[in-house]
Amino acid sequence: MRILSAALAFAAALGLSTGTATVAGAQAYPSRPITMVVPFAAGGPTDTVARLVAESMSKSLGQQVIVENVGGAGGTRGAGQVAKAAPDGYTLLLHHIGHATAASLYRKLPYNPATDFEAVGLVTAVPMTLIAKTGFAPKTMGEVVEFVKVNKDKVTYGNAGVGSASHLCGMLLMSSMGAQMTTVPYQGTGPAMNDLVGGQIDLMCDQTTNTTGQIKGGKVKVYGVTTKDRVKSLPDVPTMQESGLKDFEVAVWHGVYVPKGTPKDIVDKLNAALNTALDDPKVIARFADLGTEPEPKDRRSPAFHKDFVIAEIAKWKPVIQSAGVYAD
Amino acid sequence: MQIIRNPKDVLSGILFIVLALLFAWQTQELPMGTAVRMGPGYFPLLLAILLGGLGLVVLVNGLRFPGEMPSGIAWRALGIITLAVVFFGFAVRPLGFLPALAASVFVSALASRKFHVVTALAITAVMVVFAWAVFIKGLGLPLPLLGPWLGGY
Amino acid sequence: MELIDNLALGFSVALSLQNVLYCFVGVLLGTLIGVLPGLGPIATIAMLLPITFGLPPVSALIMLSGIYYGAQYGGSTTAILINLPGESSSVVTAIDGHQMARKGRAGAALATAALGSFFAGTVATFLLAVFAPPLAELALQFGPPEYFSLMVLGLIASVTLASGSVVKAIAMIVLGLLLGLSGQDIYTGAPRFTFDLPELSDGFDFVALAMGMFGISEIIRNLEDEHQRSLVAAKVKSLMLTREEFKRIIGPVLRGTALGSFLGILPGGGAMLSSFASYSIEKKISKTPREFGRGAIEGVAGPESANNAGAQTSFIPMLTLGIPSNPVMALMIGALIIQGITPGPNVVTEKPDLFWGVIASMWIGNFMLVLLNLPLIGLWVRLLTVPYHVMFPAIIAFCCIGVYSVNNNTFDVYSMALFGVLGYALVKLDCEPAPLLLGFVIGPMLEEYLRRAMLISRGDPMVFVTRPISAVLLGLAVAALVVVLLPSVQKTREEAFKE
Repeated sequence: MRILSAALAFAAALGLSTGTATVAGAQAYPSRPITMVVPFAAGGPTDTVARLVAESMSKSLGQQVIVENVGGAGGTRGAGQVAKAAPDGYTLLLHHIGHATAASLYRKLPYNPATDFEAVGLVTAVPMTLIAKTGFAPKTMGEVVEFVKVNKDKVTYGNAGVGSASHLCGMLLMSSMGAQMTTVPYQGTGPAMNDLVGGQIDLMCDQTTNTTGQIKGGKVKVYGVTTKDRVKSLPDVPTMQESGLKDFEVAVWHGVYVPKGTPKDIVDKLNAALNTALDDPKVIARFADLGTEPEPKDRRSPAFHKDFVIAEIAKWKPVIQSAGVYAD
Repeated sequence: MQIIRNPKDVLSGILFIVLALLFAWQTQELPMGTAVRMGPGYFPLLLAILLGGLGLVVLVNGLRFPGEMPSGIAWRALGIITLAVVFFGFAVRPLGFLPALAASVFVSALASRKFHVVTALAITAVMVVFAWAVFIKGLGLPLPLLGPWLGGY
Repeated sequence: MELIDNLALGFSVALSLQNVLYCFVGVLLGTLIGVLPGLGPIATIAMLLPITFGLPPVSALIMLSGIYYGAQYGGSTTAILINLPGESSSVVTAIDGHQMARKGRAGAALATAALGSFFAGTVATFLLAVFAPPLAELALQFGPPEYFSLMVLGLIASVTLASGSVVKAIAMIVLGLLLGLSGQDIYTGAPRFTFDLPELSDGFDFVALAMGMFGISEIIRNLEDEHQRSLVAAKVKSLMLTREEFKRIIGPVLRGTALGSFLGILPGGGAMLSSFASYSIEKKISKTPREFGRGAIEGVAGPESANNAGAQTSFIPMLTLGIPSNPVMALMIGALIIQGITPGPNVVTEKPDLFWGVIASMWIGNFMLVLLNLPLIGLWVRLLTVPYHVMFPAIIAFCCIGVYSVNNNTFDVYSMALFGVLGYALVKLDCEPAPLLLGFVIGPMLEEYLRRAMLISRGDPMVFVTRPISAVLLGLAVAALVVVLLPSVQKTREEAFKE
């Protein structure tokens, strides 16, 4: 049996027949460990989400789901690698909102985020919070808007680099306030948070994962959460929409993908395993610690996920283009 | 009296100037910006000019003060070892971790004048077993043992 | 006494059988990966993260910290034995440590590294226990202008890393700065020096550069004259320090510890800067500066102490503020989040067992490390007696595995080969690689802080002198520049007159 599969794989490698190998693989999928590519460094928020989901999916699939960190180029290196992988269900991608914004941020993207992948399902949408240094004058979100309109680029806004969630949130914030601040980029959230707590910069918008501890410890001021509804872990913080910023909604949503052409039965099997993972009480509890919760059932299907990606690409395109930023 | 009195300095001067020109040429497409709002090209171009200037100083020093010729270059070792490393990079995915490692170890052993087939094979065998035990079993690195060309995945 | 109560709590946590065991596993693994070139603590902690899911948070953090500071201990071993620094902090150790090894004093160099690290680790942990909150506040006073001035000071000091021509050393630093800038510009996203290769969008990898410039080029150089090389290795003298050597390392260890403890609390390059700042100071105050670069024991003692002290105090921003000061700390925060602990300023008061338990475990861990490492020295030194033509293919294998495992990227392996050739060429031309490596690490930070300071100050260059800490640092940089240039100017004159 081993020799047979070896011969098949050898034939596939020589380009004789990729089809046979896929069919053979589908019979007892999954028959070997599955790799879940995370296009970011280990230990980050996305990696944490991936590891929690992968651990639970391993149980229901009966095969180990191994997380492999392929960081670099704002997540496009890892995504590009999965786009080129064999569509046999043994290479998955877990990516966040950056998957949709890459379409507009990169002019020379070697893959198409919408068409080169099959969507497996949405995982979770992590809310963000707008925070400021403790010495920042405005008391409410309304006052922040007024303050920025008066002081314009004297106000500094920190972000974690081109294409990061904090960068996206900042662009959306400036476009809905109708005023520009001075953007100060950092290499990742850690150094940016350091300068915000130290009072070097004024404002920042980041995932609750990173900000909740600082908010509760009184090291930063908080003005609002970026989701449509208030967040369970921060019940007193109003939403941006409550504060008068119409249609303002950002969340760092995560989804699982496989390369285009993966057979539908494999996608369905993976979606079922993902659903089981998202209903796993352990995963739900860990997500709550991260300040988030699994996506509701109606948003987890491959069809919903696929349309959602297309809608998000369309939503961010004008925001990114009017800000005039590119990542390449 | 030779013009080139210190070949080592003259050569390093030329190397620095060539690299400076290469970097300066690469900054041409980048926006410079101003000292206040520096563009991505500002700092690199400044450094490239500095490197070129330093290269010139080294070059001129090499013409003024005496020194030695670089000697005893190990061309054979340089070629074979570079080849062994590049081969590992090329083969680690298609052939897999262990075959690529074995080939690189064996090839690099050829770089020594004391090369002996039996010793080289022994080192190769020991390294393959050791790497398997430490990196795959011990530390659990996610490396494919055999690549797709050899029937793995 | 609150401190004593807290420490008692800490030790009661850290001395439980389970936690002692995890601490031991951590430092053992740390030593192992520190010794294996290229495989750094980041990769190892990332791989072990899933295992910690099942542990209590304190045990998980104790083990992960053990890996981190254990790796700092182990990293010096390969730097000394085979001139292969796997991390920026051990680049400095390689300079004199490997020269000592070539003179048959590998045992003494390793013992110095172990003892210096032990002393520094113990003192720095004490500082961490007593002064963590005020030190964290101090670190927050460092804004972009202060960091920029600190980097300038560091760059000027790094000239002293070379023992040959000063002009060449400066040129090597500038070349390192340029190489360090390759990759995507974080301000605009524009790719720089990427030669249209997507693999270069994050720049060259440090491990590939260090292994190529030091490890691979060193092997090629050793193969030039194999006969001589094996003779050197066979001549191993006594393993321990002589009384004379012991006296010589006391000063450097004390100064290194102080320097490392302070610079370690600064996020970013702090811990790394401290090891070569220590080297510069030792070289400058030494009565025999010519010995540096040729096997001066002070050049091993100072930087090794500084680097280990820095490794301990770099926990301060993470434990007291919940802000990661380097990628390893970011991973530990990730581990805490997975454990359901929200990192932040409240951890000290809400989870005193975690905070004090980890601190207490560092003492235990440092003690275990010295007990573990001193007996190992004999074994390491015996490795040097393995004939070189048997050993070097194995070193190449470790370099390849190490460099590939950092990002699972074959491009890094190719760039290691390229840097091996470049490094060999530079060595043949008497250009020393250590300043280049430090330029490479500092380059992106220097530019980043400069541009950030200018953005925040709205283009006013006066921020660098009107902010007191920054002004003091720049003043020191000017003083260092004078000190660095004066003797070399005199020396060139003397040499010119000799003709």
